[in-house]
Amino acid sequence: MPKTAYYIPIGPIHPALKEPIRVEAEVEGERIVRVDVKRGFAHRGIEYMGMKRNAIQTLYLSERICGICSISHPYAFVVTAEKALGIEAPPRAQYIRPIIAELERIHSHILWLGVIAHEMGFDSLLFWTWKGREKVLDLLELLTGNRINYSVYMIGGVRRDLKESHIKAIKDAITYYWKFTEQMKEIILSDPVYKARTRGVAQLSKEMALKLNVVGPVARAAGIRMDIRQDMPYDAYADIDVRAVVPQDIVGEAKGDAYDITMVRIYEIEQSLDIIEYCVDNLPEGKILAIPNYPALLAKIRRTKGEAIGAHEAPRGEVVHYLKFDGRDGPSVWKVIAPSYNNINSWAPLLLGAEVADIPIVVAYIDPCMCCNDRVALLKTPEGKVLGYEYIHKKAVEKTRKIEKEVRG
Amino acid sequence: MPTKAMFLFLKQLVERPFTNPFPVKHAPKNVTALIDKVQRGEAEINPPVPVPEGFRGKLKYTPERCIGCRLCILVCPANAMEWIPELKKIRHYVSRCMFCALCVDVCPGKKFPGEEKAVKALRMSDEFLLADYNKYSDNLIEEPPEAKEMGV
Amino acid sequence: MTPETLFYAVAFPILGIFLGLTYKGIDRRISARMTSRIGPPIRQPFWDVGKLLLKETVVPENAVKWLFNAMPILAFASSMTLLLYIPFGILKAPLEGYGDLIVILYLLTLQSLAMAVGGFSSGSPFSSVGAQREMVLMMSYEMPLAIVIIGFALLYKSFSLTTIASTPVWTMVSPVAALGVVLLFIALLVVTPAELAKLPFDIAEAETEIAEGMLAEYSGRNLALFYLSDAVRGFAMAAIEAVLFIPFTFSYVFGISLNGAMLYIVESLWFLFKVLIIYIAAVTIVRTSFGRFRIEQASRIFWVHVNLIALLGLALVWLGVR
Repeated sequence: MPKTAYYIPIGPIHPALKEPIRVEAEVEGERIVRVDVKRGFAHRGIEYMGMKRNAIQTLYLSERICGICSISHPYAFVVTAEKALGIEAPPRAQYIRPIIAELERIHSHILWLGVIAHEMGFDSLLFWTWKGREKVLDLLELLTGNRINYSVYMIGGVRRDLKESHIKAIKDAITYYWKFTEQMKEIILSDPVYKARTRGVAQLSKEMALKLNVVGPVARAAGIRMDIRQDMPYDAYADIDVRAVVPQDIVGEAKGDAYDITMVRIYEIEQSLDIIEYCVDNLPEGKILAIPNYPALLAKIRRTKGEAIGAHEAPRGEVVHYLKFDGRDGPSVWKVIAPSYNNINSWAPLLLGAEVADIPIVVAYIDPCMCCNDRVALLKTPEGKVLGYEYIHKKAVEKTRKIEKEVRG
Repeated sequence: MPTKAMFLFLKQLVERPFTNPFPVKHAPKNVTALIDKVQRGEAEINPPVPVPEGFRGKLKYTPERCIGCRLCILVCPANAMEWIPELKKIRHYVSRCMFCALCVDVCPGKKFPGEEKAVKALRMSDEFLLADYNKYSDNLIEEPPEAKEMGV
Repeated sequence: MTPETLFYAVAFPILGIFLGLTYKGIDRRISARMTSRIGPPIRQPFWDVGKLLLKETVVPENAVKWLFNAMPILAFASSMTLLLYIPFGILKAPLEGYGDLIVILYLLTLQSLAMAVGGFSSGSPFSSVGAQREMVLMMSYEMPLAIVIIGFALLYKSFSLTTIASTPVWTMVSPVAALGVVLLFIALLVVTPAELAKLPFDIAEAETEIAEGMLAEYSGRNLALFYLSDAVRGFAMAAIEAVLFIPFTFSYVFGISLNGAMLYIVESLWFLFKVLIIYIAAVTIVRTSFGRFRIEQASRIFWVHVNLIALLGLALVWLGVR
């Protein structure tokens, strides 16, 4: 009798994964009978680094937590820090911030549409969606000075003002994207292969979604009305009546599969366009920074004691930051919760009983960001004993000395 | 079976390609030879997409305007600035820089006699083609010229 | 062995490889333009093959070595033999009289089979899953392919490709049978991407799912041989379709009578043009405009829809001929 079950390792390096994570699947024919998800390949110790630096440095460090949504972590950081320090951003800054954040949501969602198309072998759709994404990246470059890492937020405001020419460019882009989303709806949602590959795949029921504690578009696709912008509004979102986009409002029923999540993401682009339009039209006049002098801001942080929890609705779900200021010019405690951490929980139950062909779709449908969610790394001996910090440090020093000797000869 | 996507792609077939053919349309036979030629001015490369106003590119440092306040070192998130105590100036490593322009924001600059406003010692240029073989090459370190002569 | 056979034995593989790679280059270029890219130069496939031939050939440790190394040669040889059965325009096929459509069917299958066996013997789980998928896919698309060939046998009372090429199919059938032939053509066009392992039926090589599947462990010379056999097979498949369904010669279409060397040159170029049109329609446009199906969806498409079309076509042909 030949062996019928194969052991298929997906990751840490695999064409379906853009970042390292490991999915170990045992398959019989095409069906997956056992699955295990292992994470922890991208631990960088960012929280620890942040607790050694001052708050301004940490803010820009937080931009590097996630590679794609580089504004969501700084947004959560400034919201939290302002709460903890008792600073309020000027109204103009409170309207500029959502504009940048929503532009980023547009580019992140279009990126995801391309990635999911690539995962099902539909590369031409990937090229087309990313061609459309170029416009929002160019706009962000014009507004902030860089295409991905915007570096535009500051505790108590924003660093760059919107000029008249910028507003005109934003309005142009909005007109372009209304047309582009309309086209995307027509092409992607009606495509027979796209439908065949996503309908019923990665199907998450409402109960299951609540049990697994998924967040963001994944939860909304399952029919749960949750959105930080709706539940805990901050900045200009409080003036705008943001409503969570759920499939039952669009087609009447939420199935919670990969097709529904596509729909949710495309309609969220339209929602973002509405928000940007509102913010641009109602942009208040005034200054953009509460404390324009950075050394003075650092001095205030040193004088203030306080702690707070803040959250921002990132393209992938909710980003939660906890900050504690305690007599230093930076945070003495900084804790970050990224949305992918909750969403990756849904992989194992969804993959069990699925097909090998569904692995890339299940992996990609939550738009995972591995480097966001690794907080701790444990080193184990083959026997399973966890190695302590002192031991690892000693070994690292020994190895450095050895290499130094080899290099110096 | 014709789909909407198929019509879209057939329409794109007759349109111009979206790609900006930077630096050349197809990979040259010999890349180094091409670079040499471009440097000698014998060949031309397609220009990259122009950057908008306010682009944050490579940091430029004017040592004469620097008053040695060390504010840039205070705020730099990447610790890309190094203090030179002998000269009371800074040295900037572009390979460590994260192009946030915080140092430009805090730089007080210096007012030369006859000028109305102080001019900053640090500014962002629109230079972004910074690839190099060596992260400590002259192209990637901004420092006062004396620093090299003195060997500090 | 006559000098003529020797000439064919040397010239045809070279010509076939040249044409196969050129068509692949054109295919890549058009596909790139369809997605708003510039695309590689048309000679890129030649460089790819040259580079692969220079690279080290790695044989995995737990592979069945002789099987693993033999399969690329088998695939290459079968695609080269396939080439010798195709009449180029008005030129006769070199192996005319030694076999017929049935042999062509087997030679096409042999390549897929060689790839599947190579995948099984390479000892990697990705390759094994890929090979399983290839077997399932092969079982699905062989039936419509066989029906198409039976339809032609019914029409011509012969399996010989030269007989078929000598009389255009459309001039000798009644309207009912012509409709049947159109249906057979549609069925064959759907089978083509599956036969050539192109999107939407490149399930056995799915990059994002099983990391190139059967080819995951192949490298260097072995991969170059598979690449070449794939290129030649693409050309041969389109050429067979051109011979079967667009048999019109240049002089017939434009009503110009040529003679001497001119006739051969013009007719050959006309044939290559016809093949290119079929190649672009059946491979390039299809592979650019669709995503990849799951294996059971692809099976259902072939067993239910394509089979129905093909059987209906066969029935109409039978009615028309009777």
